[in-house]
Amino acid sequence: MTASHQSPADAPRTFDVRVLRQDGPGGASYWERHRVPYEHDMNVISVLQRIAAQSRSVEGDEVAPVAWECCCLEEVCGSCTMLVNGKVRQACTALVDRLLVDEPEGIELRPMGKFPVVRDLVVERQRMFRALEKVRAWIDVDGYYDAGPGPRQSPEDQEVAYPLSQCMSCGCCLEACPQYTKVELTRDPGESDADFQARQDQTYDSAFVGAHAISQAVLFNSHPTGTYNAGKRLDALTQEGGIQICGNAQNCVAVCPKEIPLTTSIAKAGRQTTWHQLKKWFDQ
Amino acid sequence: MAKQRVMVVGGGLAGLAATMKLAELGVAVDLMSLVPVKRSHSVCAQGGINAVNDQTRQLGDNEWKHLDDTVYGGDFLQHQPLVHEMTLWGPKVIDLMDRLGVRFNRTSEGFIDRRRFGGTLYKRTAFAGATTGQQLLYALDEQVRRWEVDGLVTKYEYWDFLGPILDEQGVCRGCVAQDLMSMEIRSFAADAVIVATGGCGLIYGRSTMSTVCTGSAASRCFQAGAKYANAEFIQVHPTAIPGADKLRLMSESARGEGGRVWVPRKPQDPRDPNQIPEADRYYFLEQRYPTYGNLVPRDIATREIFNVCVHEGLSVETDRQCVYLDLTHIDRRELDRKLGGILEIYEKFQGVDPRDVPMKIFPAVHYSMGGLWVDYERKADGRLVAGSPKNQVTNIPGLYAIGECDYQYHGANRLGANSLLSCIFSGLFVAPGVKSWLGTVPGGAAAEQPAKLFSDAHAAQKSRQDAIFKRPTSHDNPYDLHFNLGNVMTKAATVVRYNNNLREALQVVSDLAERANRASVVDRGDWTNQNVVFAKAFEDMLPVAKSILLGALQRDECRGAHFKPDFAPPGIDATEPAEKRRQAEAWCDKFEANNRQWLKTTVATCSPDGDPVLTYEAVDTTLVPPRPRLYGLVGAEAIEEVWKERARKKNQTPPPDSVVASM
Amino acid sequence: MTRNEFIIRRLHSLSGLVPVGAYMTVHLLTNASVLDSPATFQRNVNQIHSLGSVLWVVEWLFIFLPLLFHAVLGVVIIRGGLPNVSSYPLSGNVRYSLQRASGMVAFFFIMWHVFHMHGWFHFDGYLKSVAEPLGGAQFKPYNAASSAAQALRSGAVQVLYAIGVLSCVFHLANGIWTMGITWGVWVSPAAQRRANYASIVFGVAMSIVGLGALNGMSRVDVEKARQIEDQIYDSLKGSKTPEELERDQHKRDLHRTADAEHPTAEESPTADLVLPDTVPRR
Repeated sequence: MTASHQSPADAPRTFDVRVLRQDGPGGASYWERHRVPYEHDMNVISVLQRIAAQSRSVEGDEVAPVAWECCCLEEVCGSCTMLVNGKVRQACTALVDRLLVDEPEGIELRPMGKFPVVRDLVVERQRMFRALEKVRAWIDVDGYYDAGPGPRQSPEDQEVAYPLSQCMSCGCCLEACPQYTKVELTRDPGESDADFQARQDQTYDSAFVGAHAISQAVLFNSHPTGTYNAGKRLDALTQEGGIQICGNAQNCVAVCPKEIPLTTSIAKAGRQTTWHQLKKWFDQ
Repeated sequence: MAKQRVMVVGGGLAGLAATMKLAELGVAVDLMSLVPVKRSHSVCAQGGINAVNDQTRQLGDNEWKHLDDTVYGGDFLQHQPLVHEMTLWGPKVIDLMDRLGVRFNRTSEGFIDRRRFGGTLYKRTAFAGATTGQQLLYALDEQVRRWEVDGLVTKYEYWDFLGPILDEQGVCRGCVAQDLMSMEIRSFAADAVIVATGGCGLIYGRSTMSTVCTGSAASRCFQAGAKYANAEFIQVHPTAIPGADKLRLMSESARGEGGRVWVPRKPQDPRDPNQIPEADRYYFLEQRYPTYGNLVPRDIATREIFNVCVHEGLSVETDRQCVYLDLTHIDRRELDRKLGGILEIYEKFQGVDPRDVPMKIFPAVHYSMGGLWVDYERKADGRLVAGSPKNQVTNIPGLYAIGECDYQYHGANRLGANSLLSCIFSGLFVAPGVKSWLGTVPGGAAAEQPAKLFSDAHAAQKSRQDAIFKRPTSHDNPYDLHFNLGNVMTKAATVVRYNNNLREALQVVSDLAERANRASVVDRGDWTNQNVVFAKAFEDMLPVAKSILLGALQRDECRGAHFKPDFAPPGIDATEPAEKRRQAEAWCDKFEANNRQWLKTTVATCSPDGDPVLTYEAVDTTLVPPRPRLYGLVGAEAIEEVWKERARKKNQTPPPDSVVASM
Repeated sequence: MTRNEFIIRRLHSLSGLVPVGAYMTVHLLTNASVLDSPATFQRNVNQIHSLGSVLWVVEWLFIFLPLLFHAVLGVVIIRGGLPNVSSYPLSGNVRYSLQRASGMVAFFFIMWHVFHMHGWFHFDGYLKSVAEPLGGAQFKPYNAASSAAQALRSGAVQVLYAIGVLSCVFHLANGIWTMGITWGVWVSPAAQRRANYASIVFGVAMSIVGLGALNGMSRVDVEKARQIEDQIYDSLKGSKTPEELERDQHKRDLHRTADAEHPTAEESPTADLVLPDTVPRR
């Protein structure tokens, strides 16, 4: 409903976008160059929208629109994670004006490297949600009938917990983590959906859970009711692929678009698992 | 009988609440969503969720007043028993969400903190920073994940709902859907299908909605025979941040926390806004509506902002329309604590810190009050029959609709922070009714229906897609056509509506529909083909777009978000008391006459060629009698006075004390 | 391994600090005592060697096995990661990569250093026919400063030692910092920052100590030191049994010239490593 800004004098008329494409899982990837007319207030999402509408590469070949994921476009849903000029981030907040200042040559888009590519910029991030299952990131309420209000909480506790509850499972922390490595499985011939799912879950469970899930475990352990099941979450964090894999590179906290104090969560989980393990040895 | 299953389509607040509640009732659920459910559009809701609470109660608030505010705000177009039930559940819903671990902001004593939202004088709104929708959604997502681990819920994420499957008796027996990765089209047997697929903002091109909010799922139900109601009621949010791809919401909570809307008195005053003295600022909302101030309902705020820019020429900038939303007088720390999330969004996309500089905002399409027509079963006392299979059911037996994609709860205009409540409430409330339906569904379980029913439905969808692939290459593509649709809809059917514009727009949309039927897709592949998925979604936007335009065209009145200057009642311009009185009496006569004609639900049915056919249906307003919606507008006191006298004469019963709801 | 991954990783973390890191600190401080005088250094060395025949047990149990455990697991850990400093040149990430690089350098350095000074094993035949001809086993505990000084005569060796010592020190200092996070000792960003400063101070101090020791060793006047060391040894003779005296032979620098024959040739099974080392940790 609004007219857009006037273009600044030095704005380019067009700019180039290099996209690393891949037609399907396991396929070869290839670069493709697109030329996009410059508009004001563009972000990488609107660039990809223009590319989809053009369906034509710089060379003039008709090409299928680049596949990518997006949803909210205001950085709260976590969909549009990709590598923009080599750095993992949400495409919606990647503003073209700023990207072109940093890299006047153009913009380079690649899919995340730590997750299997589905197509072009779309990756399969199911492993993240499996990790949330593993650490039991929920409150074990009795049920959904009315049972009065929840426990009272101090504003201080709320202010500590709230940032953690903003995690949108975008995967930036995992992409940047040198300890989080790609797991890509392919379905065996004749393997059923359920069997493949089970094998996948098992494989995911033995690989690193990652900063996001550690932070969620800390969040729920800090909840007055959630703490009843803290032991189960800490058990999960000390299983194979647990918190011990963390290498303290602290990239997670640096790339988190929501600025969640992930390394604080990791240290808290470190302390909790230390005590938990000692208690298991000496109390049982 | 084979085991019964329920298909929930859409994993936002409503869909997840329904899934979780059904699972608790022991019903196996398949949950289908275009995106991983955690990424649903509900995350964008910022401000909060309304419910009466202990504090407001002591200030005279109760559920009845919440009902009253809601129907007054919605210009009385809601069926009131539903709203009544929702407001009764409100406090319980907040308690439940609190127990599920939502990190609501707290008072220093540890209670849930509240803020004030538009359209009410009470601080009813519970909030979790400025990301309340996200927090509520995550809590439900977590519960559903729990049920998934327990095996009662199966998720189908990255699946596109293509349509319901109806048997010969017209009973819904499942749905057809498509895997967005493998492009497999599959028929799902389901003993009930609950559609919870949100709004249709993408019909307007850019809006505050997420890219998945195409309305295509609701449209596919509409085209399959479900009625679509009140389509023309589209909420335009007063405050959004302009952008090339999206108009990003600036939550009403910014005003709830004390944000003030103003423009410089001198048109396009070139001074830095912080340097403009109070005397040179025009706080137009506060001056025109001293009681509600910046917190008038959204439709009013939107029209005032639109008016001050378009008609009074007071836009802050010359080359685009916007007004200031000013928070700079509020302490930074408090802003960070209560509004951090939304202020960051502004900062990220505009590169300006709204704690230091007033924000520039303008209205944007935000919410579809209308949607799939749904039923309910009421009792004599105005409550609903809990567990009735009629609650939230569409006109197709076995097909239910909840959340933003139904037409209930918000009438002609939604109050801020009521949508989160209506979504969760309708999700929780539909579950026992669906369970009752499962017990009475005629003709055995869905899984036992003839295989042909499912294979035919599958074949129909397959041939639809094949037909798109077979179209000869055309210079029209769905993306460009969508851009055109957005422009025409935004121009004709947002803040201010004129019949000639609407008529023209209907013609343009019909032309677009013609072109859409010939538009070709570049990608004809069978792997993650977003091109064809969008082409289908775009085609399905058109019947709803036509319903919006036709509904708006036919409704010759002003009601809530639907505003036609040509049919606006004239104001009171007399100064002489007797004449003033006479004008007010005439105004009220006209108001009553208008209600007799137009206090009706618009009900659209879809003809085979995709054109809507409209009928009108009475609204249950038995709990709160309709009254003029003035919000203490300066100059309208005479009308208020006359109306009150008339009401006293009718000897209306005072509102009863609140009733206790059970979940 | 996978079932006890958590415990094993925590032991890895712990072993880096105690005993390996603690040992390295003592070792560097002892070596730095040469800056006072060769005699002070000699007396410190003698104190260690006063453990006599249990010395090797102590060394294997508290130094070598933990060190090998730490090093081998360290390699496994390194293989599990994928450094990405070029994409994310952030200080924490640089340190993550340096921690791994310094761990590898430290490991090779220590292996070489133990060979260079002590020849790895203390079988006389092996020492004479293998280690010494290959340039190993150059340190003679009862001629501590002088033999060390001779071993470090070459500038190239000194440079390698400097790199090795600095790698060890960085690895320990940075390891202490990350260990505090891993175990949950410093949690908040502010606490981690303070701990970081402390680690930097510790690292700088240990670098000075380590490089000081290296510098002190290389500047020892060999002849003079040898006389003092021999005098000290002679003063100890009275308290030793003949067997002990015989065992001591290979711990003394009896080469009077570089190409002189070693006067004794009997087997001495005692490992004598006074030494080294540092230790990796994540």
